Amino acid sequence: MELRFFEIYRNPDYLWLLAEGAALSAGLTVTAGLTGLCLAILLATARFQNIPVLGHIAAGYVEFIRNTPLIVQLFFVAFGLPQLLGYSWPFWAHALLALTLNFSAYFSEILRAGFSTVAQGQFEAARALGMRPFLIFRKIVLPQAIARMFPSLSGQFVFLFLTTGVIAEIGVNDLTQAGKFIDSRTFRSFEVFLTLTMIYIAMSLTFKSALAVAHTRLYPGMTAR
Amino acid sequence: MTALVLKDVCKSFGAVDVLRNIDLTVEDGEFVVFVGPSGCGKSTLLRVIAGLEDATSGDVEIAGARVNAVPPAKRGIAMVFQSYALYPHLTVKENMALALKQEGTPRDVIAARVAEATRMLELGPYLDRRPADLSGGQRQRVAIGRAVVRQPKLFLFDEPLSNLDASLRMATRIEIAALHRSLSAAMIYVTHDQTEAMTLADKIVVLRDGRVEQIGSPMELYNNPANRFVAGFLGAPAMNFLDAATLGGPGGATLGIRPEHLRVTDAGRIKGTVAHVENLGGDTNIIVETGAGERVTVRVFGQYPCTVGRSAALDFDDADAFLFDAAGARLVAEPA
Repeated sequence: MELRFFEIYRNPDYLWLLAEGAALSAGLTVTAGLTGLCLAILLATARFQNIPVLGHIAAGYVEFIRNTPLIVQLFFVAFGLPQLLGYSWPFWAHALLALTLNFSAYFSEILRAGFSTVAQGQFEAARALGMRPFLIFRKIVLPQAIARMFPSLSGQFVFLFLTTGVIAEIGVNDLTQAGKFIDSRTFRSFEVFLTLTMIYIAMSLTFKSALAVAHTRLYPGMTAR
Repeated sequence: MTALVLKDVCKSFGAVDVLRNIDLTVEDGEFVVFVGPSGCGKSTLLRVIAGLEDATSGDVEIAGARVNAVPPAKRGIAMVFQSYALYPHLTVKENMALALKQEGTPRDVIAARVAEATRMLELGPYLDRRPADLSGGQRQRVAIGRAVVRQPKLFLFDEPLSNLDASLRMATRIEIAALHRSLSAAMIYVTHDQTEAMTLADKIVVLRDGRVEQIGSPMELYNNPANRFVAGFLGAPAMNFLDAATLGGPGGATLGIRPEHLRVTDAGRIKGTVAHVENLGGDTNIIVETGAGERVTVRVFGQYPCTVGRSAALDFDDADAFLFDAAGARLVAEPA
């Protein structure tokens, strides 16, 4: 079989499509990752602190998300909820919401494990030095949990980035959608999906490297040496 | 003014009584050491004072106010832990300043207090380092600094030197004594190491099974122990206990004699064989096994040539001996 990669890289429209798709995938992943992390902190806190009612709601939510496929969650958010509540959002907004909810459940479990790694002595030292519970949590427990769990959170983030390809199913013009479009025009499936694979690998490695640097910079005393 | 008063404090965990009817007064500026074997309740007592545990009954008063229902944050105390419990994600400076910041202390006051603690504890070169980059001794100094900056009414130390090696322990012990002199604050210090207790304390509280066995100055306790437990706990090497009847004492009683009060003579009342010799350079500890199978330690000042297996006779002045009944209580009336 003759390989005809040039059919992709000599066409500026295709290159632009791929670039736009990659930017959208990365943008949605980063935004959903950050908002998901914020939501995850609330969920993990509710469960870790055994907050009445909220702790149980958080547990139920996490189990619901972790026991259903991302694509079903995506369809539910993109088609089910708008029908029920009567609103209309752009495709990317539905994808962002679904990814945020999905990220939050996985991140919250990692954070909850991180909370339990903070030694009891740290709580007691803070209490005995005059700190109040909320501040102990915010200044002592949360930073340490995030620092310790940073590698796991990073791994989960990259894994979820790789699963974002499913948002193409609701019509979002992400990287996978761009590849599918180019394939449908050129019929050069091998070249198109190999190119897509290489772009995904490059982006994953970039995320991993950036997160590793962030870990070292943000938590210099807690990075394994 | 009185820094701390404990009135009939009891603490139980379920059916287990950990502290029983503890009464204690700590005056301002006093250095009080809780000492006792593992499991005697000394750390629990410290935690009750700190507010990390609630007393099951009794009153805890700090600076004249009853604080049983007051959270640790509002008790005006600062505690130093055995594990240091430094915040690993913060620098030395941030570790010291954090509690003050959250209390809303003005920046210039925080800076002045951190600078003072830094000077006092010689932490200058380490201010921007994180705990992972410090040695054990440096970490403990930071933990002390973190307490010092709060200027508490009462310092609580929970076995702060246990994780340090012997030489560092001694150096840090001297630093804590110097710190106490310069701060003039009341300090309560928990240890199972009787050397720390003897060298640091104005007042020692000896605990056993959740009860106070005796309270007094180090020399009071050493020279005039209330019972066999206190007599045996304070002093290194520990006091020797022998059957009093074999030495002309009352039947059923135990005679206690400290190793340094025994001497090796040609015709002593205690006869036996040298079982072991510890040459420490400055002192020599000779362990003699008597015919009755009792092991007696003799502490001789300086270097003393002695071979294992030779027979030895030991004697002592009666005035240096203590008598205890079968239950361990002192039999001889306390000297006036």
